[in-house]
Formats: sequence, structure tokens, C-alpha cells
Amino acid sequence: MSRSGAFGVAVSALLLATVVAGRARADGWDFQLPHGFPSPRIPADNPLTSAKVELGRYLFYDTRLSANETQACATCHQQARAFTDGRARAVGSTGQVHPRGSMSLVNVAFASALAWANPNLHRLEDQALIPMFGVDPIELGMTAPGDALTARLEAVPIYARLFADAFPADPTPVTVEHVRQSLASFERTIISARSPYDRYHFEREDDAISADAKRGEVLFFSQPLSCFRCHSGFNFSGAVETEGGDPRSPEFHNTGLYNLSTALSYPPPNTGTYEVTHDPSDVGKFKVPTLRNIAVTAPYMHDGSIETLDAVLDHYAAGGRTISSGPYAGVGHDNPNKSPIVHGFVLTPSQRADLIAFLETLTDRALLTDERLSNPWKKK
Amino acid sequence: MKTLTFAVLAAVTFSVGLVAQTAQTAADTLIVGGAVKTPLTLTAADLAKMPRTTVSVTEDGTDVHYGGVLLADILKRAGAPNGAALRGKALASYLLCEAKDGYRVVFALAEFDPDFTDNPIIVADTRDGKPLFDYQGPFRIMAPRDKKAARGIRMLTKLTVVQLPD
Repeated sequence: MSRSGAFGVAVSALLLATVVAGRARADGWDFQLPHGFPSPRIPADNPLTSAKVELGRYLFYDTRLSANETQACATCHQQARAFTDGRARAVGSTGQVHPRGSMSLVNVAFASALAWANPNLHRLEDQALIPMFGVDPIELGMTAPGDALTARLEAVPIYARLFADAFPADPTPVTVEHVRQSLASFERTIISARSPYDRYHFEREDDAISADAKRGEVLFFSQPLSCFRCHSGFNFSGAVETEGGDPRSPEFHNTGLYNLSTALSYPPPNTGTYEVTHDPSDVGKFKVPTLRNIAVTAPYMHDGSIETLDAVLDHYAAGGRTISSGPYAGVGHDNPNKSPIVHGFVLTPSQRADLIAFLETLTDRALLTDERLSNPWKKK
Repeated sequence: MKTLTFAVLAAVTFSVGLVAQTAQTAADTLIVGGAVKTPLTLTAADLAKMPRTTVSVTEDGTDVHYGGVLLADILKRAGAPNGAALRGKALASYLLCEAKDGYRVVFALAEFDPDFTDNPIIVADTRDGKPLFDYQGPFRIMAPRDKKAARGIRMLTKLTVVQLPD
């Protein structure tokens, strides 16, 4: 699943039988969260079970989910890259280059909106349909409603057991609906909570991050830079949905990445939430992505148009990007929809190094190699 | 208990010069001045000796406990108008709170005076029993009944009582 996301989150009072101490769920699933780390909300109509998560993991890594059996979800969401693909823009199973880059799935269970530019997509179960059956762009290229997919899965012996375990009450469990629910369940377990930053902040290990990174953290949370005003909270992603937390509206911002002289200031089709709302004030507004694992998810921005973290800081320090020539020429600083938070700042070289040192503390090496999130087919 | 977020929504005048100060001048004191009888320069040790209050808030769904001293007690010690004296012209005064990074917020004195309210606004210096993180402290305001956290000013360095002119 790329570019779209769904963070469905309906509270499930009964099913969220979270054990405070170990945060183990009733069926034995344990998020292994540090003390004080928020718990994700799980929708009442798709309770999290270990069996569903395991089925979802097999499906996530299975190229049978693409029509020509060349791509799986994991093609564009690679664990070693914090579930991104290293490309500026994703490439579908038929070779079609997509408008935007694959979004990280890290902590997607907390996200209050799932797509770069769709404020109406909130549930992972809904989002899963887009890469499977979408035709513009073509991602996995399956044909709705998915009879070919279910027939293909029914022919694989291991799925008989996995679907039966995950949906024991259903005599014919191999359905697209169950594929969606299982993929969503697996994705909700992709939780980054063990970075050096987490050990520093939640476990209070004072030496978990360097003095440089601590200075960088102060800069990050300072008014002159104001990074924290969009990349806020424990997930550094703006609005989140947590178990017990207040509902929050997703946030989309225009950061002054472009300012074309044409009617729309951003290059089509990447016009931001305008694409959905058709409100001219929404041109250029994109989701605030998490900064967790940001050091391993280059290139950056919705279209991968900035290659390094250093260059991202240049963009924000300038209060918007200036492109001096070519079809995208323009002074992003002056984009009429630009967020006032992107006001520009000055960093000394040592401050810049400190800020990047802080951002690097958000890399969760355990997540990038966690066996529970890895490709199960490799072991067969 | 209410949700606090790191997002601060109040507008702040931007100053490039402040960047250089940030994180490099660790002000470990809290200056209390302005229209008070006894200006103070407080350290963490001074706050530790004063009556302590803990406020509990929810941050992203997780309970967090901040410890510190009631703002009212600090202002009373500095001789700012309080209690029975907080009336008439004294009510036309406010408290300006300033942070190391240039952020500023204000409270009216009556917002935290115990004769007016039992709102436990504190100057916090601990989070779950430990010193605040560098980006928060060493001192910050916690206003647990504010629906938004924007007045929970971090890296607090200065409290100034301002009396409006007649």
C-alpha cells in the first residue's frame, strides 16, 4: 500500500483489553511498548488478533497480490527502509510511475489520515483496496471485486490454515474483506517505539542520545525553528489517534515547495488536498508525515523531490524552496497557501549538525530488523 | 486531565537572533520581577524547598505527572498582589511569562489566585519525578485546565508582573 493510508480508528472498549503492565492484548498480542508510550486504537469491527496479524504478514509479503505476481505490498514498503522504497515516486507492478512516493507504514496505527493528500481516508481496511484494485495509478493491478485473488489464495495450502485460524467462525474465510482486515492488522503492528529517542524519552536513559542530539532536540522544539508545531507529539507527525487520547483532525500543510506561475501553484497531479476538496486554498497541502526513522527514508517530501535531510533543512530554513529555472520555476517562499509556520530561520553549521543528530535518534534499528515484521516466505 | 500536545498555536514574533541563544545559554534560574515588592531569582533548589504540587495530565492518551510549585505561591513570595489585595486596580495587571526561545504568554493574576479559583497552575520542574527534558526545562508552566497546551510555556526563564497604567 502506498501513498494512501487509512488510519481507521474506532475505539473498541471491550476488545481493547489492554493489560497495562505488559500491554499484552487479550489474545496474547503484545505491542512491546515502553512505559508511557501511547497505545494505538484498534477498530471495534476488526479486533487485533495474533492469527490475523500473522495472516496479514504472509499477505503483505506475497506477490500473488499483484495481477502479474511481480509485486507485493512489501515491494514499496520495505522493512529495512522503514517500510518505504527509497524511490522518489513509487512504481507499480506494470511499471507505471506514481505521482507520489511510498509513505512509511511506521506507526500507521496512530495516523489520523492515511494518504499524502486525501483527508477522507482514515481506515487501513479501506486503504488496502487502493493498491490492490486501483487503476489510476495501477499498483498491484488486481481486478475488483477480487475473485481472481481469492481463487489464487485458495490454491495455496498454507493459506487454508492461516485464514481458518484468523477467522474461525467463517466456514469460507478466504475473502477480500478478510484480506483487508488481515493486512490492516499486520500494519497496525508496525510500531516504532524502541529508537534511542524512545529510550531517552520514555525509559529515561539519559545517555541514550548524545549531547549533540539533545541540543538538536531543543532546536527542534524552539519557536524560531518551530519544527514541533507540525511534527508534533510522540509520533512527530501531527494529529494522532491513541487509545484514551482525544480525537484530533488530520493536518495538511503547504510548505512552499513550489510556486508555479500557472493557475495552480503546484505541479499537477500533485496539487495536494485540492485534488479532493477542489478548494483553491488547499492547493499544495500535504499530510505531515512522521519523522520517525526519517534518516532511512530518503528521498523526502510527497514527490521525493528533496534527496537529503540537509537539503530538507535548506528548504525550511529558506521558508520555502526556490526553483530558478525549468518548468517548475518559482519562489516557494511566496506561495499564497504556504503555512505561516514555515517562516524560515538561520542555523549555524554546528546547530544544523545538532538538529540532524537529533533526527537520527528517531531511527529504530530494532524495527528495521524485527523478525515479527519480516518476510515469512523466506523461511519456507 | 486533558490532552496536552507539543503543538503551540499562539503566534510568536520570530527573531533570527533567538536561534543562537537556543540550547546554548542554559538559564537555570527563574527571574520574578516587574510590579512586585520583592524581585526573586529562583533556582531549582529554591523551588524544591517550597510547598510542592503535582498536576496530572494526559499526553497522547498517557498519564503524565508534573511536579512543581503553585504559581500563586511564587507570586505571593515576590509580593505580587494576591488574595484580599487582588482587587481594584490590581486586577488590571497580568503576568508575562517568557521563555529562553522567545516564546511568551500571559495570565491574568486572578487566573491562578486561590481567592478567585482553585486552578492549580504551577511552575513545574519535574516530569514523572525526574527533571524536565532540556527542551522543556528546567522550568515550565503547566496550566492543566487549559484545553490547549499553548500556555504551557516551556524553557521558562522570566515572570514579570505588569500593572496596566491608570
